[in-house]
Amino acid sequence: MSSLQDTVNPQDASSYDSAAGVHRREAVVYPAARGEPKLWSLGGTLAFGVLMITGFLILVLWNGIATFWPKPIAVVTLADGKIVAGEQTREELFKPTADQLAKLTPQLRAVIAKDDGYATRRLYRTGNFDFYGDDSKWVADYDVAKVDYPRDMVLAERREWGPFVGRLKAVVLDGVERPVTDPSEGWVRDALGQAQARLAQIRKLERDEIGGINHKLEQERLALRRVLLKSGADSAAYGEAQAKFAAREAELKKQYEALSAEAQALKGRNERDRIILTEVGGAEKSLPLSVIVRAYDANDIGLGAKLAVYGSRWAEFLTDEPREANTEGGVMPAIFGTFAMTVLLSLIVAPFGVLTALYLREYAKQGRIVAFVRISVNNLAGVPSIVYGVFGLGFFAYILGGSIDRLFFPEYLPNPTFGTGGLLWAALTLAIMTVPVVIVATEEALAAVPRSMREGSLACGASKWQTIRMIVLPRAMPGIMTGLILAMARGAGEVAPLMLVGVVKLAPELPIDGYFPFVHLERSFMHLGFHIFDVGFQSRNSEAGKPMVFVTTLLLIALIAIMNATAITIRNRLKKKFAGSQF
Amino acid sequence: MKPTFYAVAAMAGAALLATTSVHAQAVDPALHDYKPASGVSGSIKSIGSDTLNNLMTLWAEGFNQMYPNVKIEIEGKGSSTAPPALIAGTAQFGPMSRPMKAAEIDQFEKKFGYKPSAVRSAVDSLAVFIHKDNPIKCLSLQQVDAIFSKTRKGGLDKDITTWGDLGLTGEWASKPISLYGRNSASGTYGYFKEEALFNGDYKDTVKEQPGSSTVVQGVASDKYAIGYSGVGYKTADVHAVPLSAKPGGTCYDASATNAYEGTYPIARFLYIYVNINPNEKIDPVRAEFIKYVYSKQGQTGVVKDGFYPIPKAIADQDLAAMKLN
Repeated sequence: MSSLQDTVNPQDASSYDSAAGVHRREAVVYPAARGEPKLWSLGGTLAFGVLMITGFLILVLWNGIATFWPKPIAVVTLADGKIVAGEQTREELFKPTADQLAKLTPQLRAVIAKDDGYATRRLYRTGNFDFYGDDSKWVADYDVAKVDYPRDMVLAERREWGPFVGRLKAVVLDGVERPVTDPSEGWVRDALGQAQARLAQIRKLERDEIGGINHKLEQERLALRRVLLKSGADSAAYGEAQAKFAAREAELKKQYEALSAEAQALKGRNERDRIILTEVGGAEKSLPLSVIVRAYDANDIGLGAKLAVYGSRWAEFLTDEPREANTEGGVMPAIFGTFAMTVLLSLIVAPFGVLTALYLREYAKQGRIVAFVRISVNNLAGVPSIVYGVFGLGFFAYILGGSIDRLFFPEYLPNPTFGTGGLLWAALTLAIMTVPVVIVATEEALAAVPRSMREGSLACGASKWQTIRMIVLPRAMPGIMTGLILAMARGAGEVAPLMLVGVVKLAPELPIDGYFPFVHLERSFMHLGFHIFDVGFQSRNSEAGKPMVFVTTLLLIALIAIMNATAITIRNRLKKKFAGSQF
Repeated sequence: MKPTFYAVAAMAGAALLATTSVHAQAVDPALHDYKPASGVSGSIKSIGSDTLNNLMTLWAEGFNQMYPNVKIEIEGKGSSTAPPALIAGTAQFGPMSRPMKAAEIDQFEKKFGYKPSAVRSAVDSLAVFIHKDNPIKCLSLQQVDAIFSKTRKGGLDKDITTWGDLGLTGEWASKPISLYGRNSASGTYGYFKEEALFNGDYKDTVKEQPGSSTVVQGVASDKYAIGYSGVGYKTADVHAVPLSAKPGGTCYDASATNAYEGTYPIARFLYIYVNINPNEKIDPVRAEFIKYVYSKQGQTGVVKDGFYPIPKAIADQDLAAMKLN
């Protein structure tokens, strides 16, 4: 009725034209008849949605993209002679307290009073945690005597203790100290490059070669324990195995010593080449060159050099392992973990969901039971995800995994193998969580295949299964893929249940490596979604963590977009194929 | 708990005090330098305290540099998750920001027949944080109790709900105090309840946060807030209030010196609990990890995370108790 109230009453729809002296009838048109009267609301909703999404994306993009850009280093001399140096990160208005005001000169007080008692302060990221015990500092504008940007200020990112802000004093190569102030000088870069290369070599030596020996040794130890568990401590077999183990251990130890000496030599070499830095207060610090990830003279570099720093930071972020409790370094294990889990999840959920839907739609007798199952499946989609997490932990990890451990890996106990969260359990848990989406989508897709096509196929003598396989499934495939894409997207973005069933803060070991059986589905893994939570809400320095949150969010969105785009491309190919083979 | 902490701290802390001036807190130079042993590999899984989460990660990273093939996994959702994980065997290390309760030790003993071993791995001054603009200079534990607790077992007769109740004037006088705390699985929650609330109950208005860092972020963004968490989580946006043990007593700030001397009223040890069977030889991975924690390198990690390192005397005591020296 309300829609009629704002329309013209048809009885009054004539008006008196005084100029012509006649009554003129006007055409009466109800708004409902005028095309699409609620179009503005439809369009408005869309516009609102688009606005929110683009707003969010722009926020993430802007913050994410700007994070790694090198900023200039300000050297702020305070009125009391103290010096603060660092990158400015934020500024805000605040009301100085009476105590603070009392210490100021009358002129400054007058300025602040003119601004309604507000003053500006800026947050500088000063770095040098090893010197100051904190890494950023607020400086109120009224305390500042002068701000300059000296050309020799250097920002050095270190493997430990976070960034160093100060000046470069000298580089010591082979015991010879050479004074230098510009880290971009050719020979300094070369020396840095060599130190990095040696570090990579040490890593390789330790991880691959020594790691291999350690792995073998561990296998021997487990083999010995297996014998112990099987035949008891007093048996002859155990004595024999012990002797064999001792011999093998001695042999491996010898190999280890040799490799370890080699690594130690390289480490010693890296200790010798040093870099000497001075902080703005004048304190000196001598560090091994290999500790420096990158160093640049922040106030003196051009656009090209800035781009190079920016690029190398992104490269490090994408390909390296995290350092310093996840606040620095890269997120490679998390990218890999997210990707591996999503792929595994799709591999599990696709056959499971499609087969269920096929039976429900094509074979099951439609009746009360099927209707009940269908309602239950739909309801499953509404269960909070954390409930699936609890179920996964209790059923998969503890019950299923615990039994697997007792049956197949007794020699590892009490250390759990499958009896704790891991990649497999996480993928299975998320598969159960997302399977309703696939079932519903598949059922709809199957229902959309015209009855005439099935009948045609059956009339030609094909069996029911042949009909489903050759006629129904190919035509339903795009719809099934849509369901799968939705399931994947939901799974990849989910964090809450994962925290219970296998995602951890730090697990630098990837689930795939060079040791038998090569794919280790029992391992815990890192996940970008959890990494965002961890860096944003759990890191020591929440101030430094904030930009990393945006970068990681950007990456997670990009990863999901790429995976979805791939799936959509496949779906479109299938659609085309299907269109081509139509009569 | 309290007497043990102070007795030990007073005994051993003096050595460290000389070095607390300019730099971030220095590590006891008497601690041993860690030398990697051969043939260490296997896996380490740690489940427990959120306060110790970053510290465990730093240790794991350092340990991993020595033993690249040790697989390390770290999970930190609260101290209360450590004992069940140790009992179920899902973790080898259970970091906790409070000592294990008698009931938890009993459960452990029922299953294994011996008590879990405690590694006192770091010292923390549990800090009471306020916004950086807050002019409060000093609080007594009894005031802290009246701010956070509805039972007020500290003995203050009046509830404290506004900043005016604490003597602030001007715009602060009428502003209600906004409370931030930890969730009940946290050891920090338990320790604060025991020491600062005198075992009383928290007010219902305390906003329970899932992590120490979240508490600091809450206080940083809320001008009229107060919250508690480990001193290692301090940022430039918050300020740790100096505390006194008695009303009208001298206030001490949450510095390393005051923690070692025992003058800061709510300093504590951060523990790592381990399942060590006294009748068997401990496996090399865990033994080396514990030794690493007590080494110069390990304690440097403590400083890096903003906590205070332990002196050599405590390291020696614990290593002797675990027969690791």
